[in-house]
Amino acid sequence: MNAVLVLQSLISGIMMGSVYALLGVGFSLTWGVMKVIHISHAAFGLIGAFLAYTLLQWWGLDPILSLVISVPLLFVAACLVYRFLITRITQAKEVIVASMILTFGIAIILENLMLLIWSPDPRLLTTAYTSKVFILGPLYFQYPRLAGFLMSAVGVLVIHFFLKKTLTGKAVRAAWQQSDAAQLYGVNLKRISMVTFGLAVASAGAGGVGMAFLYSFDPHAHNLWLIYLFLVVIVGGVGNVIGTALAGLIIGVITGLSLAFLPYQWVNLLTFGLLMIILLIRPHGLFRGEV
Amino acid sequence: MNMVKTQTKPPLFALIASLLLLGLAIFPWLGLPVYFVSLLFIVFLYVTLASSWNLIGGFAGYLSFGHVAFFGIGAYVTALMMKGLNLSPFWTILSSLPAGGMAALIAFIVGYPCLRLRGPYFAVITFCFAFVVELAVKNLDILGGPEGLWLKSMDLPIHVIRAILFEVMLVIMVLAIALGIWTSRSKFGAGLRAIKEDEEVAQTMAINSPKLKLQAFALSAFFPGMAGGVYAYHLTYIHPDIVFDVMISILIVLMALFGGGGTWLGPIIGAVVLTLVNEGLSTFVKAEFARIIYGCLFIGVIIFMPNGIMEFLKRGRERKRV
Repeated sequence: MNAVLVLQSLISGIMMGSVYALLGVGFSLTWGVMKVIHISHAAFGLIGAFLAYTLLQWWGLDPILSLVISVPLLFVAACLVYRFLITRITQAKEVIVASMILTFGIAIILENLMLLIWSPDPRLLTTAYTSKVFILGPLYFQYPRLAGFLMSAVGVLVIHFFLKKTLTGKAVRAAWQQSDAAQLYGVNLKRISMVTFGLAVASAGAGGVGMAFLYSFDPHAHNLWLIYLFLVVIVGGVGNVIGTALAGLIIGVITGLSLAFLPYQWVNLLTFGLLMIILLIRPHGLFRGEV
Repeated sequence: MNMVKTQTKPPLFALIASLLLLGLAIFPWLGLPVYFVSLLFIVFLYVTLASSWNLIGGFAGYLSFGHVAFFGIGAYVTALMMKGLNLSPFWTILSSLPAGGMAALIAFIVGYPCLRLRGPYFAVITFCFAFVVELAVKNLDILGGPEGLWLKSMDLPIHVIRAILFEVMLVIMVLAIALGIWTSRSKFGAGLRAIKEDEEVAQTMAINSPKLKLQAFALSAFFPGMAGGVYAYHLTYIHPDIVFDVMISILIVLMALFGGGGTWLGPIIGAVVLTLVNEGLSTFVKAEFARIIYGCLFIGVIIFMPNGIMEFLKRGRERKRV
C-alpha cells in the first residue's frame, strides 16, 4: 500500500462524495421539511442525466450547460407532482409511509418512461474532455470528475445560502422547525413546501448529471442511487444540509478507498452493510442538527 | 366485522371453502392447457406471498420492502439441496420445508435488530437487506454467482410436473391463508394490531411487542421461503435477478395494500386481482406500459383507498355524502 495510491483514492473519493452530497441534500430537505420520503428523487436525478446525454448527442451541449434546460423543467415537473399528488396524502395518518408508497409509484412510472424513451442500454456521458486529465505531481485529476466536483460544491453552497440568507429559505427553515408557528407569522406552508420540493428535485437533476460523470447509467440505475441517498441522509441527519454534505464526502471517501482494494460488487455490499449497521446503531443520523 | 360474520355462519363458510378447494385441487387433472395450470400456480404463489407479508406488514404495520429476500433464499436453499443431496424432485414438499425454515431462521436473526426500527426506517432497512442478500448471492461462486443455477427437471411429461407443483403450491397457500385467518382471530393477531395502533400503549398493556413482532416476522418469512423453493422447481433455472427481483417485493406490498392489509381476506383479493391484471397486461401490452400502469395503481391506491379496496367499496356511499 503506497501513499500515492491512498492519496489518489482519497481524491477520487472526495469527488464522488461531493456528487452524493448534491444528490442527497434535496432528498434530506424533502424528508426533513415535508416529512416526505421521496423515493423517486433518484429517478428524477436520472432524468437529468438522460436529458444531459440527449442534449449532448443532439447539439453537442456540455452536460453542465444542459442544466439550464433540465433544472427548470424538473422544477416545474416537481411542482406539478407536488400540487396534484403529494398534497393528497399530507393529511394521511402516516404521512411518511404513505409518501414512500406514493413516490414508489412515481419512481416505477419514471423508470419505465425512461426505458421507453432511452432503452435499457447503459450510457456514458462522453464529452470532449472525458479522457483528459489534469496532472499534479504524482496525482492526476480526471476533468469530468473535476467538473462534477465543482458543480456539486457550487450546488450545495447555493442551497445552503438559499436556506440561510433568503427570505424564502428562512421560511423553509421556519416551516421545518415549527410549522404551526410559521403559519401564524404568514408563511404559506403549501407554497413553501412546493418550492422546497421543486428545488430538491431540480438539485437532484444536477446531482444526476454529476453521477453520470462518474458512472455509466441506465434506466434502472436509480435503485442503486436511492440506496446511496438513504446512506448519505441517514449518516448526515435528516434535514441537515451541512451534515448531508459531510456525509456525502465521508461515504465518497469510504467508497473511493475501498474501490482501490476491493472489486466493485463488494464495494456496494460494503456500503449497504454499512447503511444497515448505521441504521441499527443511530437511526436518526450520526450528526443531528437543524436545517 | 369480518370475524363476527364468519363465526356466526361457520358451516356455510366451511362448505364454500372446501368446495372451492376441491375444485382447485382437481383443476390440473381436467386436461386444460398447461398455461392455465401455470397461471393459477402464479396466482397461488402471490396469494401466499401477500398473505404471509400481511402478518408483519398488515397486522403489525411494519412495512417490509424486502420480502423478496426470503423468497430468493428459499429458492436457493432448495436448489442447493437438490444439487448437494441429489434429492428426487418428488420430494418437493419435504425439500421446501427446510427452505422455509432457513428463510424463517434468517428472518429471526435479521429481525431481532431490525424490528427495533419503526416506520420508514424499518422499510428502508428491509429494502437494503434484500439488496445485500442479492449482491451476496451474486458474488458467491458456490451459488452459481451471476450465472445462476440450473436445476434438474423431473423425468415426467410437462403437464404432470406442472400439476404436481400446482398441488404443492396449493397446499402452501392454504396453510398461509389458514395462518392469516387464525391470526385475525387469535390473541396473537390482537397483539399485533395493538402494536400497529400504538406500540407504546401496547407495551403498557403487557403486550410483549419485541417477541410478537419477531414471531410475526419469522412466520411471514417462512411461507415465502417455501414458495420460493417450489418456484425454483417450477422455473428449473434460478438467477439472482429473477428470484431477488425488487419488483416482487413491491408487488407484494401493493397487493396487500390494494386488498386491504390487516384482514386475512384483503391480501388474497389483492393478489388474485393484481396477478390476473398483471398477466393480462403482460400478454397484451409491452412490459414497460404494464409497469407504468402498476405505478399508477400504487398512486391510486394510496390516494383513493389507503385502507384497501374492500374498505373503499364499503365506504363508497359515505364518501359521496361527504
